[in-house]
Amino acid sequence: MTRTPDDRYYILGHEAPETPPPAPDPEPWGDTRVVGKPRPRVDAYERLSGTAVYPADIVLPRMIYGAILRSPHPHANVTAVDTSKARTMPGVHAVISADDIPGSLEPHTRTMQNQVFLSRCRYEGEPVAAVAAETPYQAVDAIRAIDVTYEVLPFVADERRALEPGAAQVHDQGNQVMPTINYRRGDVERGFADADIVLEEDYRCECEIHTPMELHGCVARWDGDSLTVWESTQGVYNVQTQVAAALGMPLSRVRVIGEYMGGGFGAKLGAGKYTVIASLLAKETARPVKVTLTREETYLTVGNRPPSNMRLKAGVKRDGTLTALEFVGSGSGGAYRAGGVSLLDYLVKDLYLCPNVRTELTDIYINAGPSRPFRAPGHPQCSWALEQMMDALAHEISMDPIQLRLRNVPTVSQAREGSPPYTTTGLAQCLQEGATTFGWEETRDEIARTRNGGHVRRGVGMAAALWAAGGGGPPCTVVVKLFSDGSVNLNMGASDIGTGTKTVMAMVVAEELGVDPDDVQIAHADTGTTQYASASGGSKTIPTESPTVRAAALDVKRQLLELAAEELEVDVATLRLEDGNVVSSADPSKTTPIRRLRSFARRRSITGVGYRGPNPSDKAVTPFAAQFCEVEVNTMSGEITILRFLGAHDSGRVMNRLTYQNQVFGGITMGIGFAMTEERVLDVDQTGKLANKNWHDYKLPTALDVPADMTCVPIDVPDPEANIAGAKGIGEPATIPTGAAIANAVYDAIGVRLTATPMTPAHVVDALANAERRG
Amino acid sequence: MLPTFAYVRPQSLANALEQLRTDGARVSAGGSDFLGCLRDDVFECSKIVSIAGLDELRGIRTLPDGGLRIGALTPVAEVAGSAVVADRYRVLAQAAGEVASPQLRNQGTIGGNICQRPRCWYFRGEFHCLRKGGTTCYAIAGENQYHAVLGGSGCFIVHPSDTAPALMALGASVRIAGARASRVVPMDEFFVQPNVDVRRENVLERNEIVTEILVPRPADGLRSAYRKVRARGSWDFALAGVALALRVRGGSVVDGRIVLSGAAPVPWRSRAAEAEIVGSAVTPERATRAGAAAMRRATALKRNAYKIPLFKGVIEEELLKLANA
Amino acid sequence: MAQDPKERDVHTPADRGSVSRRGFLTSVGTGALGVAAASEARAQPPNADVVQATELTQVTLHINGRRKQMLVEPRWSLGYVLRERLGLTGTKLGCERGECGACTVLVNEVPRYACMALAVEVDGANITTLEGLMQGEELGSTQQAFLEEDAYQCGYCTPGQIMAVEGLLRANPDPSLEDIRQNLAGNLCRCGAYVHIFRAAARAAERKRAEGGAS
Repeated sequence: MTRTPDDRYYILGHEAPETPPPAPDPEPWGDTRVVGKPRPRVDAYERLSGTAVYPADIVLPRMIYGAILRSPHPHANVTAVDTSKARTMPGVHAVISADDIPGSLEPHTRTMQNQVFLSRCRYEGEPVAAVAAETPYQAVDAIRAIDVTYEVLPFVADERRALEPGAAQVHDQGNQVMPTINYRRGDVERGFADADIVLEEDYRCECEIHTPMELHGCVARWDGDSLTVWESTQGVYNVQTQVAAALGMPLSRVRVIGEYMGGGFGAKLGAGKYTVIASLLAKETARPVKVTLTREETYLTVGNRPPSNMRLKAGVKRDGTLTALEFVGSGSGGAYRAGGVSLLDYLVKDLYLCPNVRTELTDIYINAGPSRPFRAPGHPQCSWALEQMMDALAHEISMDPIQLRLRNVPTVSQAREGSPPYTTTGLAQCLQEGATTFGWEETRDEIARTRNGGHVRRGVGMAAALWAAGGGGPPCTVVVKLFSDGSVNLNMGASDIGTGTKTVMAMVVAEELGVDPDDVQIAHADTGTTQYASASGGSKTIPTESPTVRAAALDVKRQLLELAAEELEVDVATLRLEDGNVVSSADPSKTTPIRRLRSFARRRSITGVGYRGPNPSDKAVTPFAAQFCEVEVNTMSGEITILRFLGAHDSGRVMNRLTYQNQVFGGITMGIGFAMTEERVLDVDQTGKLANKNWHDYKLPTALDVPADMTCVPIDVPDPEANIAGAKGIGEPATIPTGAAIANAVYDAIGVRLTATPMTPAHVVDALANAERRG
Repeated sequence: MLPTFAYVRPQSLANALEQLRTDGARVSAGGSDFLGCLRDDVFECSKIVSIAGLDELRGIRTLPDGGLRIGALTPVAEVAGSAVVADRYRVLAQAAGEVASPQLRNQGTIGGNICQRPRCWYFRGEFHCLRKGGTTCYAIAGENQYHAVLGGSGCFIVHPSDTAPALMALGASVRIAGARASRVVPMDEFFVQPNVDVRRENVLERNEIVTEILVPRPADGLRSAYRKVRARGSWDFALAGVALALRVRGGSVVDGRIVLSGAAPVPWRSRAAEAEIVGSAVTPERATRAGAAAMRRATALKRNAYKIPLFKGVIEEELLKLANA
Repeated sequence: MAQDPKERDVHTPADRGSVSRRGFLTSVGTGALGVAAASEARAQPPNADVVQATELTQVTLHINGRRKQMLVEPRWSLGYVLRERLGLTGTKLGCERGECGACTVLVNEVPRYACMALAVEVDGANITTLEGLMQGEELGSTQQAFLEEDAYQCGYCTPGQIMAVEGLLRANPDPSLEDIRQNLAGNLCRCGAYVHIFRAAARAAERKRAEGGAS
């Protein structure tokens, strides 16, 4: 387990990508004109007028609708599928099941089987058959008319019981996905012996489901031997690779387009079986086919954050020095190998200086839908344990929890082979500036002063974090084309999943070429016409794309200034671009609008290509964070009200102050859901079925569950060693410490520790009753 | 995607009742709960009889005797926003304001709200449970964190309505139109417990329609309030709720009703709790005793034991708040 | 035999004026769709007698000030009709269960879920969708406020959030923060832009008041 964390974001064992030859690094930006300012989005008009076309919005001539029949059982053999009635239903064009399609499709992700329709269904929601019909209503009518005979098999739906003798077997080789993963540095036993205080606690995080607002789905259309797929995805190139492999097609004949998409959070990093099914239905019917999953289907089949069981033992000296950490974690990625314990121990290994650490991870199969990466895999869970433990340790040694963390701020990345230093470490600033702006001391004093023994109690809490990836990396290619009228095309493969990628990239182009961001026309997220980019996820997009875009813009600028130098007969080194003019520092009279450059007018356009250079080989690129909150707890009703939140983040250079803040608040909001309301409920004792596969029973936070008082404190320190934009990722770190910060605030308020999510009134009342019973 | 159904929108109550005579016909008012049930295959419906066009069933009116008539088709939002309701029946305005979400309050009707089907996830899900004609209540051995601690018998749903406990606390009645005649049923007698009939939540027959709700004139010294605790701030049913309607004279409770939501398969009037507070001032000790009395007969399933301390806490807190208001 | 849904636009399209990058907007929603429905056509109003499950029936919807007559099945939702039949895809569908709010439209000025409204039930009603908030080619006040406050991320819940704010402001031009939060409590945002949405709602109220109540 010596890989760098960036490699492991998606799947353990994934190889590091190749690096194209880098251009020489330019000087880091000094004062910027555009980058870093708050700027509304370049595609705001489209998104707000309703003219942005999301995949779910596409209506093509002759298009028909697909629907999928899925196993209602968590574990069953399909013994017969009778589609005869469905085929005669009104409006039906095609019905396909295992009998109708080649059985030799290539597997298209690590977690997907090599057949679209399996004879053995290992989770509720596994596809069994599919239909294409004139209207979506008729497609569903036909689905209801398909008669399937199942041989129902014993199931296991709780990973805490799945390794017990006699548990139903998800796979014949047993329910443990792979041998337990062990990590060790130093000597934990000696560390505990050296400690003044040793604490040990069990923690549990429930399974969380992504549920982006736009349903998973696609439109598939054939043109001869070529397939075009409009997919709601974070990564068109991933979808292309997987669909081409599944259908045995060359990449060049599979074009995937995903310009606008309605949220993913990791659940849309690749294709789904539905993508292949839509393609097969389109082929069979010779019509474009739209498949949009139902909300219930998305709960069952397109991923989740695994449930996590964690035991953490920690030792500390009275002066706040951590002496040892021991972490035993288990989890389940569902019925297939899907990263059930991915990065679950990472913070324990990396967030604080600690010489003696031992961790142990066990990944377990259960009969439930496979996990997919979910915003900072493993981290919010690990933070839930570690940051509550840090709070408890601080309490035990009577030290302020911020001081305890400052005492243990890491200088090197201990989790990585050879403990390389970080390029930048803003953790101390996050803690200090965050605490100051929050008014940590003053609020604690005021709460202590006004505590009156009533049943509504206030408290404050905080937690720190880092994110294992967030540095981005190659490969990535971007093309920037400057026209002779001064307008610009930007061509990149990246998806803008709502984080503002397009806007930031237009700002980077504008910074280098002296144009207005609104004059940058962007083509993106289309494997047919735009350049390669990895999927937008893992806080990798800004640190991957913005240096690449900058490199491409610099390539344009270099060519343009060389042209200008020749035409104006000045030394190229004296030239710069400013507001659409070529300006010479040596001779101001030579200032020329670029559209007046005759050589450029003849050439018509200049095309620049940028490649993402390699990351520093001997350093770790890591974003850091600290979040603070104040809560009020009603001890009679168990209700927790979050009064305010503050996020202090070191993600390197802030690229757009407005979208940056939106990411921070969004991460906090998602963290509130993780900690307060969200929980997958499987009927573990009877049927194994998902009880809450809708947004009523599975509870996302609403406008009334988040405080209106949120503050964003950027620690805006560019990271020149990370990449030529100086930026690190923000999406993931923004959600990692939130849950633990709330739990710590609740403890501060009521003196009872909630070690399991979600912290609903039910759990608070239970915890208070238990505490009372214990005396 | 909804299954197929025929559709008719009668222009008169008589015609609506006539249309309901068809086998498989069902009445739909606002449709917010009804369409959800069709989507989830909770029951079959071959013909929707939409009463949305019956304007005479809409609106809030003060009656000559000082009471209030609320047409069954009055949107929940209108009840929540009505000045006369807020002024005279605070418990009802508060309860209506706690229903679902703003959009659903605009769509859903007060009649529909008291007649809505349970939200038990087994009942709504792909489980052929007792209430749907099966042989098992899956909640007994299953995921019963949101289920009943009182009145469960065979089936352990909780009644989902917020307005029903408020109306019951106010001593309201329901007018029901049938094929032959109309009848007025007190809220106290409107709901059906599972030990009487597990297939229904109220006395309404399939070919009957709730036409109006009658709320008596507020008694002198009436103080009322609705309090709902839930897992999130909106769009959620009660983990524990309490509707209070107390008549207070000279600092002392002379009469009062305490009705629980989220506790039982029907809105649960707790006479035991009422007995603890009637006849004296609401002191902290009496409020505590009222909470304890309300839960004296409560029994927890595997995962809903929290409801017992939660109800005690909420009843106590809300009684004191109301008494000291 | 199957027939196309009938659709008639009795208003003349707005003058497009000079060519602009946004000029296509005036045509949004007017495109007839060629998807055939394998049901019998039937041209009588739904309130006379029973529309059979397999029949199409005529409804008249007043959408963004334009009158649309078309044939629908009884079970078709307003959301489906807007998006897949009329091409008004500004209205999004996230759950079709009344549990997310992405499909929020104004029905007779009141915010409602288009997924939970049968098209036959809103026969004759005035429907306002996101497209209907545009001021010609420019964003309406509420939309503009969302732009300025960056009150969205992926943008998929956004049409519903905007319509909820619009409905609130038409009923209450000067809402408190609490009013805003309460009235947005029927619209989920998974990206978590709520705090910016609150600010956008307050800014939209200011803009509208400054404009003298004109939306």
